[in-house]
Amino acid sequence: MKQIVVYQEKCTACRECEVSCSFSHEGAFVPALSRIKVADFYEEQFYQPMVCVHCADAPCAAVCPTVAIQRQADGQIKVIDDRCIGCKMCLLACPFGVMGFSPDKGVAHNCDFCDGDPQCVQFCTPGALEFKDVVSAAAPAKQKAAAALGLPQT
Amino acid sequence: MQGATVLRVNLSTGQIRKEAVPEQMIKTFIGGRGVGSKLLMDNMDPKIDAFDPRNPLIFATGPVTGTYAPTGGRYMVITKSPLTGAIACSNSGGYWGPALRYAGYEYLMVEGKAKEPSYIYIHDDKVEIRSAKHLWGKIVDDTENMIREETHPEVRVALIGQGGENLARTACVMNDKGRAAGRSGVGAVMGSKNLKAVAVRGTKGFKIANPDAFTAAVLKGRDKLKAGPTTSGLTMLGTAGTVSYMNMVGMLPTNNFQAGVFAGAAAVDGTVVKKDFMTRNRGCHSCMIHCGRVTKVTGHGQFDGRGEGPEYETIYGVGTICGVDNLAAVIKANYLCNEYGLDTLEAGIAIGTAIELAEKGYIPESDIGFKLKFGDADAMVKLLEAQAFRKGPIGHWLAEGGFRLAEHYGHPELFMGSKKQGFAAYDPRGSIGMGLAYATSNRGACHLRGYTISLEHFGNPIKLDPFTPKDKPYWLTILQNTTSFVDASGICLFSTFDMNPGEDVTAMVSESLGYNVGGPEDMLKIGERIWTLERMFNNAAGLTRADDSLPPRITSEPLTEGASKGHVVDLEPMLNEYYQLRGWDMQGRPTSDKLRELGLA
Repeated sequence: MKQIVVYQEKCTACRECEVSCSFSHEGAFVPALSRIKVADFYEEQFYQPMVCVHCADAPCAAVCPTVAIQRQADGQIKVIDDRCIGCKMCLLACPFGVMGFSPDKGVAHNCDFCDGDPQCVQFCTPGALEFKDVVSAAAPAKQKAAAALGLPQT
Repeated sequence: MQGATVLRVNLSTGQIRKEAVPEQMIKTFIGGRGVGSKLLMDNMDPKIDAFDPRNPLIFATGPVTGTYAPTGGRYMVITKSPLTGAIACSNSGGYWGPALRYAGYEYLMVEGKAKEPSYIYIHDDKVEIRSAKHLWGKIVDDTENMIREETHPEVRVALIGQGGENLARTACVMNDKGRAAGRSGVGAVMGSKNLKAVAVRGTKGFKIANPDAFTAAVLKGRDKLKAGPTTSGLTMLGTAGTVSYMNMVGMLPTNNFQAGVFAGAAAVDGTVVKKDFMTRNRGCHSCMIHCGRVTKVTGHGQFDGRGEGPEYETIYGVGTICGVDNLAAVIKANYLCNEYGLDTLEAGIAIGTAIELAEKGYIPESDIGFKLKFGDADAMVKLLEAQAFRKGPIGHWLAEGGFRLAEHYGHPELFMGSKKQGFAAYDPRGSIGMGLAYATSNRGACHLRGYTISLEHFGNPIKLDPFTPKDKPYWLTILQNTTSFVDASGICLFSTFDMNPGEDVTAMVSESLGYNVGGPEDMLKIGERIWTLERMFNNAAGLTRADDSLPPRITSEPLTEGASKGHVVDLEPMLNEYYQLRGWDMQGRPTSDKLRELGLA
């Protein structure tokens, strides 16, 4: 399944992902409602974009009392607005803190891949975000780690 | 048309008001530097002292600040400068400006003076003046961390360090830790109001007038930046990549402008920053350039640390002008400036001035406490601390800025600047247009008002001979008018090398506001209006043609080595031509015809 893959070492904390996400979903520049957020550890010189990873065993869905959080055929975790009562239990349950809540609409939200064309990925200049199958995306890491273990340097 | 709101906070009375900016004012001055300057003009007598509580401190965003326009994250601090006595407009990136807009305000005007150290906390509609007694005396990073603890993890903070608290005329307003509204001593005005910080949590966000057309303009601009040579250069080496080039053309200011060639240039170049100290890039809000250098210094003893920088201007300010070629020390000095809230340029220029005075025997050694020499990295770092805390006679006079220091010790001619503000990192004898740019800049010597280097050395948009005055006054007016508009928009000047401000920035501003500002010619007219308004402020404050000046070293002492050898700046003829082109009289006062033409009468 395709999802947002994050390469934190490329992130510069410019937050174009936050503004583009909020603009495409809300029609307004309101990063407070962005589905993706950059966690900024300034002193440690570490920036980590945080976004829904559509857990296989999703705690948000498990705690939802109205079954408003459902898995789609493509594997995506989705909030069904009509069923959501705005109790925010999912926000507390999410281990990554990436469920959001819109006070105006009274419903929770998470990354919905912008119907297959995630705006955060489109606007991420340094290439810290990619939309791809995470299992395949992990493969190069195996080669890299193995090489570090003992591949002769030329 | 999209409106704008000014939040007015009076620290003397505690009164907090929200006012709509008149639509006509937005059409006439756009935003940021334009509307901000107009608000200043309308709310103070330019003659009063910069530290008078009646001098408003205005934080201004532009119509594209906080949007996803490429580099659209700037805010400006506008006030009367305690360094120059002229209008100050210091520009910064980071995330603070956008946060102010997300909270519902395009402008914040702070008036009066708090009885005790205070900070302003803005959480959308809720605005409070809080005590900052526990924050006073704290460095910038600690202060921001403490405010975050007591407000919200996602708060954005603009604040001063000890420099601003101690009214150092070289103090800046810091935000988001590593960003600075640097020049003209605006941090000292904040300190004079007993205002330690403005913390903003903005969750409301804002809409723009024409979302689809705006997005089209943004995507067009983004494509240009993606393909642009300056953008990729700045991403790779930051502004620090300029060091070796400036040395090659003989205009890297060395030992207080006694030379334009620096033997240690290669050791402090941007390539070394990247190779030895940089850990990653950092971008301001919605930036595609990410020129910020996140750096770490290890294994250099007392210079170890981590933070942001250095920029090219910093390498000059606390480096070459002081004769310092120790890059670790330069970076450490940058960290200290960020922590104390000092402008890396002005703070370093003051030290460079002091070193020449000391070497020539004009400052008694007892005032300093040791023998001060060019190239002494330890002394440079030590004097930054003395400056921030006004320690001893030398600390006091450094905090007064290079001009006042040189004047106090009897040699004002050895201060290298204009309108009491130090030059940027370009010796104008190697780029004659910069001489006129420094002399006529409304906020005192500055490279961001008319970067004639772009024409004289980089050939953008056309190539001019750096050593002749020919065409410089004309091009300078174009650059000054353009940058005035760009600063009004809320976009970063660095985007304008690869975008066309007259087409791209005007389009973004128009679609954001829902008011057609027009094309290149209209942009220049709006810019000219802003420029002239600033000039009116300065004239009303008592500045005259005599303040559009350069020190004698620049006008009559040729450089003795390097590629700019033998040249000086013949200022007066260029100034006459410049005034004429501007429609000003020979004293530099806009004529009534010009004022009528610009709608400023």
